[in-house]
Amino acid sequence: MRAGPSQDEIRRQNLGALLRYVHVHGATSRAELTNTLGLNRSTIGALTADLAAAGLVTEGAPKETGRAGRPSLVVRPESARVFAYACSIEVDRLRAARVGLGGAVLDRRTLDRPRGLTAAEVAPLLAGAVKEMQHGLPADAVCVGAGVAVCGMVRRDDGLVRLGPTTGWVDEPIGTALGIELGVDVPVLVGNVAEVAAFAEHARGAAAGCDNVIYLYGDVGVGAGIIAGGRRLTGHGGYSGEVGHMVVVPDGARCECGNRGCWETEIGEHGLLRAAGRSDARGRDAVLEVFDAADHGDARAQTAVRQAGDWLGFGVANLVNIFNPEMVIFGGTMRDLYLAAAAQIRSRLNCNGLPACLEHVRLRTPKLGEDAPLIGAAELAFERLLADPLDIG
Amino acid sequence: MSATPLLELRGIDKSFGPVQVLRDVALSAYPGEVTALVGDNGAGKSTLVKCISGIYPTDAGEFVFDGRPVSINSPRDAAELGIEVVYQDLALCDNLDIVQNMFLGREKRNGIMLDEPTMEQMAAETLAGLSVRTVKSLRQHVSSLSGGQRQTVAIAKAVLWNSKLVILDEPTAALGVAQTAQVLELVRRLADNGLAVVLISHNMNDVFAVSDRIAALYLGQMVAQVRTTDITHAQVVELITAGRSGGLGLAAETGANGNGAASADRTTTEGAS
Repeated sequence: MRAGPSQDEIRRQNLGALLRYVHVHGATSRAELTNTLGLNRSTIGALTADLAAAGLVTEGAPKETGRAGRPSLVVRPESARVFAYACSIEVDRLRAARVGLGGAVLDRRTLDRPRGLTAAEVAPLLAGAVKEMQHGLPADAVCVGAGVAVCGMVRRDDGLVRLGPTTGWVDEPIGTALGIELGVDVPVLVGNVAEVAAFAEHARGAAAGCDNVIYLYGDVGVGAGIIAGGRRLTGHGGYSGEVGHMVVVPDGARCECGNRGCWETEIGEHGLLRAAGRSDARGRDAVLEVFDAADHGDARAQTAVRQAGDWLGFGVANLVNIFNPEMVIFGGTMRDLYLAAAAQIRSRLNCNGLPACLEHVRLRTPKLGEDAPLIGAAELAFERLLADPLDIG
Repeated sequence: MSATPLLELRGIDKSFGPVQVLRDVALSAYPGEVTALVGDNGAGKSTLVKCISGIYPTDAGEFVFDGRPVSINSPRDAAELGIEVVYQDLALCDNLDIVQNMFLGREKRNGIMLDEPTMEQMAAETLAGLSVRTVKSLRQHVSSLSGGQRQTVAIAKAVLWNSKLVILDEPTAALGVAQTAQVLELVRRLADNGLAVVLISHNMNDVFAVSDRIAALYLGQMVAQVRTTDITHAQVVELITAGRSGGLGLAAETGANGNGAASADRTTTEGAS
């Protein structure tokens, strides 16, 4: 039988809890930390001193409170000094950013991505952007890690992209390749874009405080980041959340995964463009043009948007029945589709969802917007720091 | 998500001379929720809003705000309760900047001088609290803003005064797709921040995208107030055009009077077309 946690373990856990709190909520007074973390005042003081000595937080006088009594010191995350690199490999572009402790994007670069680049070709481009950001860093800046969001199925153990149908990747070792290119002494963690965006929205976005969340992310394909019982649902190998490949139309349109009639052939980029009679067009701008045309009265575009909305509603109803989430978030092109076809989506969901599952479900768009994949990728790197704050830095 | 409404109206009647515009109207608005007020042109939506905001006196009916009965006799009464209305024309002054517009008529003063730094800070905090990133400078004239940005400023102006209930009249009319999306997200955020929001809209997508409840007016009567999870697009359209849909709305046999028969006739023709 295992004994209870040791003093060291308890201290590590408390340090992590305190750092996580200021990381997520920003500057917090010691008094508030004492209340919310349920530790006594002197423990909070000692933990803060340890974290400050490690250069992870600073303590300072608060702004004028206007109340009587000595004001409690405010603990702030060292956002400008402690940071993680975050990369996002999207269908049409590559993004790299430097994200500070506390979740603020400090610096960013965006590059176009010709469709069809391999991991070995993408890694130097991203590494170049990262190196550009390294110029002019304060001398005492500390990098705690790097995270990558990628459209595709990612093996949890080593960040190998097993299959990225929309990027054309099969077994691409992006994590390893980027680690070599960066030449930094930190691990590069890789996650699926929907999964990390869900992670970010759960930590500090629309889903803060919600423990059961489905984040649908759409570009060419559609994936889901699922948070169940407050934890990320990753599956055995890390490949869960491929909701875009639920087969909804037997013998339907050919999907990039090789099957026919996957959900994303109806609600993804290709499906929408096909239904709008614009099969030749590609890319996010082409998708947005369909919504624009529908708004201006183009009947074919309107039908396409309505149809896609109907299909989105069917699928969301299934997901709601299976997972009973309290929130469904529509990100990427799914945001635009949701806002343009909410009447269809809601109606389908209300008809096909089971009443008990529907009771408390809220449909939302992301609060972090386009930054969600970057912030989420950085969160992957920060997770390690928060698990054991004094081990790094 | 709260069980008690912030604003509850009961039995509101309003006539203009011989024309009865509102008949026994009830409406509830809950904190943290968006209540969509829908209805055809002339159904009485705008009149109802003007009754709530104190512009029109009501002929009969009671107002309950935050659990206590109140009477609203002027726009000032409504503002004191924390009710703000954003009208379709936005009522912004093109020749003033964003801060000046937000504080128009209610300027902060420092002695006899205007307290510009405080006003600018409050405006900035309000916009930041709504996660508004599209406005570059608070000191640019409203004339230089796009339609969506103007709407944003008008909404921020309504939120600035610690208001509890914000009523938005067709906030997305005349906006393009991208700006409509931004304004809808802003409307949702107001409610998620704890305000009660009443959204008047003709656009069913807007209604279904952000609302928690739908209240349908038909020829001056409130025919249904339902949760958005319990109704479909087709049902809302039926409520708006015919006053009833299945078990919702007006009873089939409204009575033996001519009005009831006329509306029943109209229902059948609507259904057939």
